[in-house]
Amino acid sequence: MAYMLMSLRAVNHRLTNLPVRELPAIAASLAASIAECGELLSAPQSQKAGKTDSDHAVQVHKLVTRISSLLQDRTCEGRWAAVVLVKALVEAGQWEILRGSEPLVRGLMGILNKSDPASTKIMSVITLTRIFHLTYQYPTLVREITTPSLPGFVTSTLNLISAKPSSEPTRRLKSNTPYLEVVLRAYSELIARHPTTFRPFSAQMHSILQAIVGSTPRSHSRAVIDVSEQLFIALHHCAPKNTGGEEWKNACRMTIVSIHETANHVLRAVVEQWESVDPSLRQQLDHSIDYASEVGSHGTNALGLARWRGLDLGVDRLLVLLRMLSTFLKSATSSTVSIPVGSILDLTARLMSVTVPSDAGGVHQANPEISRTEREHLFTELPRIHAACMKLLHTLVKMLDTAALPVSQTILEQILWVFRAEKFNKKVRTAVYGIVHVLVKLIGPSMNKKTVSSLSDVIRICCSDILPQDVENSAKELPDAKSKSKTNSNAVNADFFLNPNLKQGRQTSASIKFPKLSRAASSLLPVILTYIPTEHLAPPIRAEIDRTIIITSDKDAMYASVLNPSPAVKGRGANISILPFLARSYPTEMDVEALIRPRMPVLTNSTGVGHYVDVEDDELEEVAVEATPASPVSTGFLRPSTTPNLQDLVASGGPNKATITTTLNKRNHLEEPGIQSALPSTITEASAGGIQIKKARFESTVSTTPAGSSYVKPEPATSTTSIQTSSVKEDTPMLDNNVSIVIEQSSSASHAATANPPPEDEDSDDEMPTLNIEPDTDEEDEE
Amino acid sequence: MLSECFVASTLASAKTPTSSSLRDVGICVHELQPSATLRSTFKKSSTAPNCLAVSASHVFAAQSEKAIVHVYSREKGSQEATVPFPERIRSIAATGSKNGDIVVLGTEGGRLILWEVCTGRQIATTASHLRPVTAVVVDPTSNFILSGSADASIHVWSLVDLLSFTKSPSTHDRQTPNSPIRTFSNHRAAISAVAVGHSSGKYNIAISAAHDNTAIAWDYRTGHILRNFLLPDSPVSLALDPVDRAFYVGYEDGSVQSIDFYREKSAQHPIYDPSLQTTPAQISAEDLWLPPSADSGAALTVTVSHDGMTLLSGHDSGKVYSWNVGRRKYASTVADFTHPVTNLAMLPLGGLYEQVTSLKRVAQTLVKPRYVHSLVDTAQSSGVVPADYEFSSHLLPPSSSADTAAGLDWFMEAFSHASFPTPILERGLSELAVMDQLASTAVSTPFAGAAMDVGAPATDSQVASLEAEIAILKQKATLSDTARQATTDELTKLRSDLANLHDYINELQDKQEQSQREKFRRQACKEKREIRRREAWFAAERKGENGDTAVRRMEVEDSSDTSDIDDQSSDEQ
Repeated sequence: MAYMLMSLRAVNHRLTNLPVRELPAIAASLAASIAECGELLSAPQSQKAGKTDSDHAVQVHKLVTRISSLLQDRTCEGRWAAVVLVKALVEAGQWEILRGSEPLVRGLMGILNKSDPASTKIMSVITLTRIFHLTYQYPTLVREITTPSLPGFVTSTLNLISAKPSSEPTRRLKSNTPYLEVVLRAYSELIARHPTTFRPFSAQMHSILQAIVGSTPRSHSRAVIDVSEQLFIALHHCAPKNTGGEEWKNACRMTIVSIHETANHVLRAVVEQWESVDPSLRQQLDHSIDYASEVGSHGTNALGLARWRGLDLGVDRLLVLLRMLSTFLKSATSSTVSIPVGSILDLTARLMSVTVPSDAGGVHQANPEISRTEREHLFTELPRIHAACMKLLHTLVKMLDTAALPVSQTILEQILWVFRAEKFNKKVRTAVYGIVHVLVKLIGPSMNKKTVSSLSDVIRICCSDILPQDVENSAKELPDAKSKSKTNSNAVNADFFLNPNLKQGRQTSASIKFPKLSRAASSLLPVILTYIPTEHLAPPIRAEIDRTIIITSDKDAMYASVLNPSPAVKGRGANISILPFLARSYPTEMDVEALIRPRMPVLTNSTGVGHYVDVEDDELEEVAVEATPASPVSTGFLRPSTTPNLQDLVASGGPNKATITTTLNKRNHLEEPGIQSALPSTITEASAGGIQIKKARFESTVSTTPAGSSYVKPEPATSTTSIQTSSVKEDTPMLDNNVSIVIEQSSSASHAATANPPPEDEDSDDEMPTLNIEPDTDEEDEE
Repeated sequence: MLSECFVASTLASAKTPTSSSLRDVGICVHELQPSATLRSTFKKSSTAPNCLAVSASHVFAAQSEKAIVHVYSREKGSQEATVPFPERIRSIAATGSKNGDIVVLGTEGGRLILWEVCTGRQIATTASHLRPVTAVVVDPTSNFILSGSADASIHVWSLVDLLSFTKSPSTHDRQTPNSPIRTFSNHRAAISAVAVGHSSGKYNIAISAAHDNTAIAWDYRTGHILRNFLLPDSPVSLALDPVDRAFYVGYEDGSVQSIDFYREKSAQHPIYDPSLQTTPAQISAEDLWLPPSADSGAALTVTVSHDGMTLLSGHDSGKVYSWNVGRRKYASTVADFTHPVTNLAMLPLGGLYEQVTSLKRVAQTLVKPRYVHSLVDTAQSSGVVPADYEFSSHLLPPSSSADTAAGLDWFMEAFSHASFPTPILERGLSELAVMDQLASTAVSTPFAGAAMDVGAPATDSQVASLEAEIAILKQKATLSDTARQATTDELTKLRSDLANLHDYINELQDKQEQSQREKFRRQACKEKREIRRREAWFAAERKGENGDTAVRRMEVEDSSDTSDIDDQSSDEQ
């Protein structure tokens, strides 16, 4: 407190004694000191009784008076500094300052009407908005400060950005005003909280927003258009009581109809197959289009947006409206609204049904009355439209979440249709990855084989998008370059001969050029591995994914792959897992540690304070109870299946089971003595455990773990080799160097694995039965 | 403050509650921690076991022996709707992540009814169960429904396939649409309870208990049995540990029991241990957790607290017991609702910051199931989403945590900053500095453009570009200064011209006045002369002379001096 008082006094001293012209330079530091005194400023006045406390009150009062007089200062510098300090004061003082902020508010509003520099006004708008925002939670302050001054604020800010022709309810936008964005942002911040205050201005604001959204050609920045779309939608808050939801729905419908109208003109170069499911819409859109004149709309549309001319502007309008429709789904509403899911899907079905034709002609879609140039122009613009559609659908699915289950299959079909035709476009690919991501999360677990295989194209291209291009190409190019250079050396870029690294360097930077695309692609892979049933993923696709993951060392994806191993294939022996690569790439990560050296079950082991103090006894009893009645039934048929395996292992006799082929496998691949030493130890430990079991049951549980682990040791080697074979099988011709990488890593991984005792316990819940069979059955045998 | 509550529903019985606050009450929201007190109640409901579902906004209670579901709004604390269905409802579940968008109902006739509460769409499945559906659960991914029936079978349904407007490719081949994808029929008697694990991965488990004194843990994605438990008594209810380490069974005699999956130290989850999968595990009757009194009645429902350390059981006697999971015995009686407590549902912890903000939308009022033809059947056959498929919900503003994650734009940064962020301050300072150097009148307009991109990080290149801009603007300002100078000069010249003109006008006016006076004088002279002539004429006549000659003589006299005056006047006018 003492420190605060001191710094407050210092602030006051500087404020009063320094010449006003010097204040702006130190305003930032003054504001910082004020912010630090927050506790002092926000302390209630009534509690300040003592002598020192009265000093507090004096200082606070002095500060407030000085700042409010600065607000009225003659110089711009003084007013500028005052605005900065008011903001700091309000933020720090909260209620105590707010309740006396009426003169401050008046001063700030005065600045808006003076000829101050732009930054002063912008900061005053922000400060005023903040004050109104902060008072919102205190009804008395709203009544005393916000409600009286808000209309004045709206009027003066509207005057900043627009001119009002007298005797008209609409306003004309001033061109090139620096305040547009900040004012609109302030409105969108306030409108939902003070709808009744804004209601008289809604017509004026509406006219301004229409001009911004409908400006053709676009003359405003993206940020301004975004915020005006938000505000346009937020205007429904101003609707009279209980009609807000209705207003919202109308605006939404209007937007959809506007998009349809615009699409009528934009898509006139092709004959559409689509027919709306909504009969009323079908009627509404049933206008003949003038094919003779240039493409364009010849009147204001349903939303009251201005006309446009030329395909480029039409596409722009379409994109703006599509974005607006997604903004509808993103912004908060005043009450319950009904989202026209059916109409939105109808709209996207229409826009996405027209795709770029795969053959150059595309005759089946062509409208003979329109010139080829316009049609080709349309086809080049289509991917942008489709990307916007997919973003809309993405928003829809994200908002509906599980409620999107009924429509997700429909959406998936729509986007796969577009993807098939337009996968060459990066924007389309990015959007597809994004929406497939959310859809797979939703319906992935119940996808059937056909749906999964329809996704395989997406997955494959996604993998190639993630891979750095040089890895992909260099293998291909090498033989190519050779053959080409022999036949036609003129066509080859001489730079590549002189400096082969040049090309690589350029291509790696090329992949960095599209961070959005590669980010969307790499976040899709883990989701696919996690949510889609692995048994439905075709093995070549799975191999492709694993290979991509290993090359890019994407931790999340590696995780997903390890935790969702592909199902065991008969006759293949062990399962494929990329766990060694994960362990190699991220040896120090906590979650890798948890996976490789699991401490689970954490709680049941706790012997000290935990709630499971007396669990151990109970559990052991249960084991005993469980085991004894079970054995007569089960041992009979358990014995032949499992115990011989162990014996076979010991004697290294003729193995004929799957589990044993794996061990054979690894023995072929690995020649190190580690195995040899490990195996005997397994046996001795297991048998020792078995013998001791009758005396102390604790021992048995302890011994199983090392036994199992030592047995596991060689496992990674086999798994990696099988990965290698699969990738070789898939693309042998072009993958020579990759394969060598894989082999190299696999051998090294096996070393790593031998160093790390139980590497594959957690992930292999199903497919690694061998881990626990031996010790357990052994145990039972003994009993 | 953190608090933990549970919802309990009762079946109406002949007994009358002692406490007046419990009269007519069918569903209670009861606080468990920090203090066990009744929070709120919903009236007029009587539910059988497995007939209560709780979503973030609503409570659904299927009425026993009736074909109606009561819907209570949790926010308003009152009954919102009574929804009739074509058949008696025997079990109910709400799904759809946090919002509870889909309610699944198991009917007396062995079919499932799915109700999308925000759209009113309703879908019925085939009557695949031969007896009433007594238990329905939905897995954490909201993709699969598990329905247990009195006919001893459990069906697994794909929620997505049931709901989807467009059927996924291969389901077209199947004979009957809306039928289960898998049937689990390892039980030999009526299913009493089904519980599903908490994993959303593909190794999730389901546990089912049946009246043949068995509980089976199985993998509902494959139908594969994981473990068979032989129970000492007939199980009535099931609950699963939050970490899936164990499950709890409530028995007909009121006792409960925990059955651990982990029996020995094992890194792998033992339930996947194939060597034990074929071995039924006999659960001893000795480690039953016995109820405090013999007349507690069957443990009709059990549920586990958020931390997994407290088990709650609802009994036939109307008591709700809490059991200490660690000690494995009865801990206390939490509440007594007089009527049989048939359902208990833990609510998510209140007071956690995350949960308050994470809802994206909330359903304030539900859309009752509509039997609109287009929504029920025809749409499905054609695979098209009908245009009147609408989703009503209240969209909430995005949570603040999402904002911070996304990164603030310049406005929000300035908005929530303690004063103003440095870039804005710096821009303002540079503006003021520029103003200093320039004449105060010429400032406001040219610098309006400089503030367009407030908030962009002030990089060196930007500073350089701004400096260049300032230089250009200075040039412009000097230009306009000289121009202004020129205009002022011109203005003074014009002013002096104007003064000259004024002078000239005055001069002319003077002259005019003078001439006017001259004219009047001449007129007077003329008249005087006229009078004189007439007098002369009269005088001559009186003298007897000819007057005319006298007049003529006078005219000749006058003409000499009048002529020059006339010339002058004609000039002037």
